[in-house]
Amino acid sequence: MSRKANQSMPLTSDAVEPKAGSAAVPVWLVVLLFLLLYGGMVFFDRNGGWFNQQVYAPYHSVAELTSYQLSTSGPDIDQGKVVYESICGLCHNNDGMGKPNQAPPFVGSEWVLGSPNRMIRIPLFGLSGPLKVKGQDWNLAMPNMGAALPDDDLAAVLTYIRQSWGNKASAITPEQVKAVKAEVGSRTLPWSATELNAIP
Amino acid sequence: MNYGPLIFLAAFFAMASSWCGFVLTPQLQVGQLQQTNTLGTTVTYPIPRPGLAQQGLQVYRANGCAYCHSQQVRQSGTVCDVVLAETGTNQPALLASLVKVKPGLSETEARDFIAKLPAPVLRGITKEAADAAAKILNAASAKAQVWIVPVGPDIARGWGKRRTVAEDFLFDSPVMAGSQRIGQDLANVGVRLPDANWHLRHLYAPRLTEKASTMPPYRFLFEKHKIEHNPSPEALVLPAEMAPAPGYEILPKQEARALAAYLVSLRADAPLFVAPLTVAAADAATATNPPAALGAATGNAAPVNAPAK
Amino acid sequence: MSQAPSSPPALAGAPSKIDASCRVPLLLMFICAAVWLVIASAFALIASIKFHSPDFLADCPWLTYGRVRPAYLNALLYGFCLQAGLGVGLWLLARLGRAPLAQPWLVIVGTLVWNLGVKFGIWGVLSGDGTGFQYLDMPGYAAWIMMLGCLLISLSGLLTFHQRRERALFVSQWFVFVALFWFPWTYSTAELLLVTWPVRGAAQVAIWGYYVANLEVTWLALIGLAAIFYFVPKLTRHQLHSHYLALFAFWMLILFGGWSGIPGGAPLPAWMPVLSTAATMLLLVPVVIVAVLIHQTVEGKWTRLMANPPLRFIALGAFAYLLAGLMRVASAGLDLHHPISLTWFAPAQAQLNAYGFFSLVMFGAIYWIVPQLAGMEFASAKLVRAHFWLALLGLLLSVVPLAIGGIVEELRLETSGISFMQVVKTTMPFLRASTIGDLLLGLGHVVFVVNLLGMVVRFYRPRAVSAYAAATMDLCAVKAKP
Repeated sequence: MSRKANQSMPLTSDAVEPKAGSAAVPVWLVVLLFLLLYGGMVFFDRNGGWFNQQVYAPYHSVAELTSYQLSTSGPDIDQGKVVYESICGLCHNNDGMGKPNQAPPFVGSEWVLGSPNRMIRIPLFGLSGPLKVKGQDWNLAMPNMGAALPDDDLAAVLTYIRQSWGNKASAITPEQVKAVKAEVGSRTLPWSATELNAIP
Repeated sequence: MNYGPLIFLAAFFAMASSWCGFVLTPQLQVGQLQQTNTLGTTVTYPIPRPGLAQQGLQVYRANGCAYCHSQQVRQSGTVCDVVLAETGTNQPALLASLVKVKPGLSETEARDFIAKLPAPVLRGITKEAADAAAKILNAASAKAQVWIVPVGPDIARGWGKRRTVAEDFLFDSPVMAGSQRIGQDLANVGVRLPDANWHLRHLYAPRLTEKASTMPPYRFLFEKHKIEHNPSPEALVLPAEMAPAPGYEILPKQEARALAAYLVSLRADAPLFVAPLTVAAADAATATNPPAALGAATGNAAPVNAPAK
Repeated sequence: MSQAPSSPPALAGAPSKIDASCRVPLLLMFICAAVWLVIASAFALIASIKFHSPDFLADCPWLTYGRVRPAYLNALLYGFCLQAGLGVGLWLLARLGRAPLAQPWLVIVGTLVWNLGVKFGIWGVLSGDGTGFQYLDMPGYAAWIMMLGCLLISLSGLLTFHQRRERALFVSQWFVFVALFWFPWTYSTAELLLVTWPVRGAAQVAIWGYYVANLEVTWLALIGLAAIFYFVPKLTRHQLHSHYLALFAFWMLILFGGWSGIPGGAPLPAWMPVLSTAATMLLLVPVVIVAVLIHQTVEGKWTRLMANPPLRFIALGAFAYLLAGLMRVASAGLDLHHPISLTWFAPAQAQLNAYGFFSLVMFGAIYWIVPQLAGMEFASAKLVRAHFWLALLGLLLSVVPLAIGGIVEELRLETSGISFMQVVKTTMPFLRASTIGDLLLGLGHVVFVVNLLGMVVRFYRPRAVSAYAAATMDLCAVKAKP
């Protein structure tokens, strides 16, 4: 094992450790960084759904997602409008704003935009007693205006309420109406707000 | 200046930022998910896998199946179809509106079309166009529906009807979404290949079912059994060159049965709020193709890469 | 033994003293790492052959592809990369701080515990206890043993850093110091939330992506770049061009590395893969910085990087870092519409990163460090050269065909007329080529182990001989006494 064979890898003095110079960061690199940051932000703005956990690619927002919510037999919103204006609008007004001391508004109402299970029960059995709608107190009695409607029509009018005047919520299907009717069975008394709040 | 603690703090904050982003927030958003409703019904989704399928999940994990198979279906966009379900009472108005909605259609073609309903009038269009067309058709007192159709290369390949979402894996642990497609995507294999016996044969000898397959045979999940009185109903049916000696049969071990049960339980095609699609009422249980579109060429709908806006 | 004429051996901060303190622990780490590398290559070769000959060893459940491939990946990452990386990192801290390695027994015990954990882990994976998470396959019982070993080793590193005589910090020390924390933090998070008390549902995919990014992108780069920024200036006898640029790369790496791991098609809300893509694009900056730094340090004269064998390995590793970084950026950019990350392109990129970049840099570092520790050169420079060429050819043959194969596969998968089986058939020639590459890499590793063991034997044999002679002489003397 002569030294001659090891000429290519001499064990040189290894006492000197490297040093680093203090040249400045080039400007073009900082520009590159900002370009990438900007690009990233634009990309996120367009495709990120703004951290909403319901938005999956290729959808861009909950609004876009909602517009695609149709079931197998899509409720007919036009039919819903006809039913609304002949039955519900008499008290709740055709523009959904309600009438003071007569009927609460539908526009932006948490009872409309929330769980369908609650909303379906109201026209089927009526609603009475104190409740809050958009922070305001109401204490009236609504009869079961939707009890006599066929399932299709009730689903259509509820969908119309949930998707008009700026409201954005999922459609309600005749199947859901049937399911609620089966769940509740027979009931003579109208609902109270506390009972409804207990329903998921 | 003692840099040590400063560097430590800075690194800690850097690590904490990605921890908040991809550990804490996913746990808050996705880790707390509960069962949801299948779109348009009160049926909860997903249902937990039956016991044998849960065991099969562990066999899948133990044998590293996720190293070749993915379980993630992608979707590049969503389009709409307009499907005519019923003709209604006013046929002349319907024919007129059909021509309005699909210019270039002749009267005879339209008449032939309405003879075989339900059938799609328009395919692969945007939501606004579909709503407008459906309105025109409905005004002629027919019943036209707008169907939501996810599209993408995976969907065109028949690997799923919609993209996979977090709810599809709610009861699975570990979640093995896979990172390679050396073998087919398995997210909906329970829909494509619902027969557990097919899976057992495939596991024993993949080249029986697909000659060019590079999947390794999993013969160690099976055992050779002496036929006692009668052949077992579970015995694999194999061709002569692979069959065991006379008097013996090949039976799946518990692991093979569990794995087959798991594979058969794999499906992710229920419509959800986060992944809407329209399921034809008649095809609620199985997947079939809608009939050929009016005036369109046969074959799969070409995947549309831009989402319908 | 060491030849450091400029500093008297008695000085505690002399390289010879530092190397003496590092000798036993680091030689142990490097030998263990090298042995794991050979074992990993054996698994890699078996896995590679199974692609075009699926019946190869098919009846042994321990060697089924789904177990042998994670065995390869985990043996490479935890058996070789982490161990060699920690060893090189400790040496860098000791040398740059001009102080001996603190509490070497911590490193020795830590290494033994770590290797025990890896043994259990690989055994667990092969026997079917794998966790199902790629790169985190080792079962919980093994992982926590490894964690203990890592903590012991990191503790020694922290003490070495704390007790440094040279208070001014060279950039490599920043990188290594943070790496000592980074792995335990992220590994324990991942193990706790995925294996010990698993979170529910698809959140596991997010946490898994977080861990993989922190390991593959951040940690490997922290140690790898620490070595590159140390050895390139040192072995070319130039100054590292800019301290600030190197630190800029450091910040980009630790700020954005951990965000880049969520794959595009994951069953997670859109914001997660989108943020990952954006973070990956931002990681272009450290890649560019490394290129600029090396270019400026050698003042444009690339041939200086071929001066000696360790430097050649490191230069090739740096080049691989650039390529792997560009591949990752390309893959993330294309992912939205062309999911190339699900094809062979992704393993090619991972191989180029973990092997082409990190392992080659480790080879270069070890080929420099071990002679310093032992105070003598390698017996055969030819073996070192052979290893270099085997590594280069093996890398070319294993990465390039897979990368091209992945692109071809993606193009064909997007054409709906082509059946899946036809796509599989198309990838076969590329897979065969990559098997040859894996074989060459494996041969290189055998050469590496032989070389290292040879060095250790040559170092300890005179000592053993003289110790034996001393013992027998005493015996003779005792006998001779009347």
